[in-house]
Amino acid sequence: MLVAFFESVKYVGHLLPISFLRIFLGYYYLEHALLKYRGDFLTRPRIADQIAEWLPASHAPNWFKIFASSQMIPHWQTVAFIILGLEFAVAISYIVGYVVRPVALLGVLLCVTMLFISGPASEDLYKTFLAIHLILAWVGAGRCLGFDYYFFKRRRGLWW
Amino acid sequence: MKHFILFIAVIFLGLFLAVLNKTEPGTASSSLPTLRVFGYASFTGRWGPGPLLKEQFEKNCKCKVEFIEGSDSGILLQRLKIEGESLGADLVIGLDQFDLSKATSEQPWRKLSLGQLNVYDAVKPALANSFFIPYDWGALTFVTRKDDLSRLPGSLDDLLDPELAKKIALEDPRTSSPGMQFLYWVIRSKGEEEGFKYLQKIMAQAHSFSPTWSTAYGLFTNKQTKLVYSYVTSPLYHEIEEKRKDYLALTFTEPLPVQFEFVGIPEFCRHCDLAEQFINLMLSQEGQKVIMEKNYMFPVMKGVMENTPFEPLMKVKTIETFEALSSGEVDRLLKRWTEIRRGDLN
Repeated sequence: MLVAFFESVKYVGHLLPISFLRIFLGYYYLEHALLKYRGDFLTRPRIADQIAEWLPASHAPNWFKIFASSQMIPHWQTVAFIILGLEFAVAISYIVGYVVRPVALLGVLLCVTMLFISGPASEDLYKTFLAIHLILAWVGAGRCLGFDYYFFKRRRGLWW
Repeated sequence: MKHFILFIAVIFLGLFLAVLNKTEPGTASSSLPTLRVFGYASFTGRWGPGPLLKEQFEKNCKCKVEFIEGSDSGILLQRLKIEGESLGADLVIGLDQFDLSKATSEQPWRKLSLGQLNVYDAVKPALANSFFIPYDWGALTFVTRKDDLSRLPGSLDDLLDPELAKKIALEDPRTSSPGMQFLYWVIRSKGEEEGFKYLQKIMAQAHSFSPTWSTAYGLFTNKQTKLVYSYVTSPLYHEIEEKRKDYLALTFTEPLPVQFEFVGIPEFCRHCDLAEQFINLMLSQEGQKVIMEKNYMFPVMKGVMENTPFEPLMKVKTIETFEALSSGEVDRLLKRWTEIRRGDLN
């Protein structure tokens, strides 16, 4: 598996630049997830505060606003846990290049949610991330410098 | 697919276990017993009464006091329910009268026997519950800046003035105690059916329904709103701490709701005696003075507020009867409120 990890550079070397982007994004998510984990993201309703503050001005569709107001705010601890879990999943997946395609789609979902519940200051950031996740999913960025290559070589298919 | 599901499951399981084993800061082993006090942020924070009470208590108890912060008082119960005994709280500070029924139905509590307390008459009905003791109280109203409004609202109906559209900071009654107090105030003043019709109209006036009082108050102090639902003592805070006299607590034709804040000891407490001693400190003259001056709430015990700037504020017209709604009643009102809120977002 480790041989395949490095062998991938030889066979799918054209994906190498995008692999660096993937690893960098993974590192970024890991840093933020650790900050949240060590801080009070899970114990104080930061996410509920954020939703309540920005939802009225959000471009989100009405069904999302209703869902956020009726479910996400009162159950903010569950929401915080899911967001943190997804951030860790994206971080680890991108860094080691494992199940990158499906995880990138989760990243898209995470970005869309954050886009709806965040203020204009971070709107551009999430839009950029959204584009990056989509591209990583599209090209299957885990196949270069990642464990996805090992599975891709043996099984092929859309998952790798 | 199998790899993906397994990967996600491992990540979430790992995070779950990490959260379970996460120790709060300051829980390092020590030979002294540690009293863990669970309270809302504005009580336990450095600007609140918590640190001063802790200092006073630690002088005599040969123990350490550690605070577990629970954000708004409305969120205390949620955390207590989710984390229960693993929270390790010996004392819970900051439940209000609408939380009591829910708290007793969800959690066993120790009976408190603190003898005869020399409290204000207004506080006496709040002593009826044997598991919880009130330690402060306050009337709630709308607060504004003097020059922000051309006409000051004097009744609930005045809040529907088009000038105030999207300019009122309110709290979400599902997560915030003042938010629940506002809901109760409207229902109590207008009757349930009329009250909910009124709440439907006030949705258009609200800038937002913040999950905590501090978020709502932050919107107001940042001048994003002209009114905020807060305490009659809030302007006094600005006067004393910031030397600003332009904040104003509005008087209303409808009697104002009163919030009592309670302290209780959960049955699973580890240092139950220390918890009871801490309550005694909170109810002592020194403790009550600290709470009044730092929490900007009225003390429950007589002899503390006299000849202070707080005394005249106590004379506002308030709802006289003490009503602790059952948890079923609270849930029913919140359900109706959620339906209206959902309709408003539609």
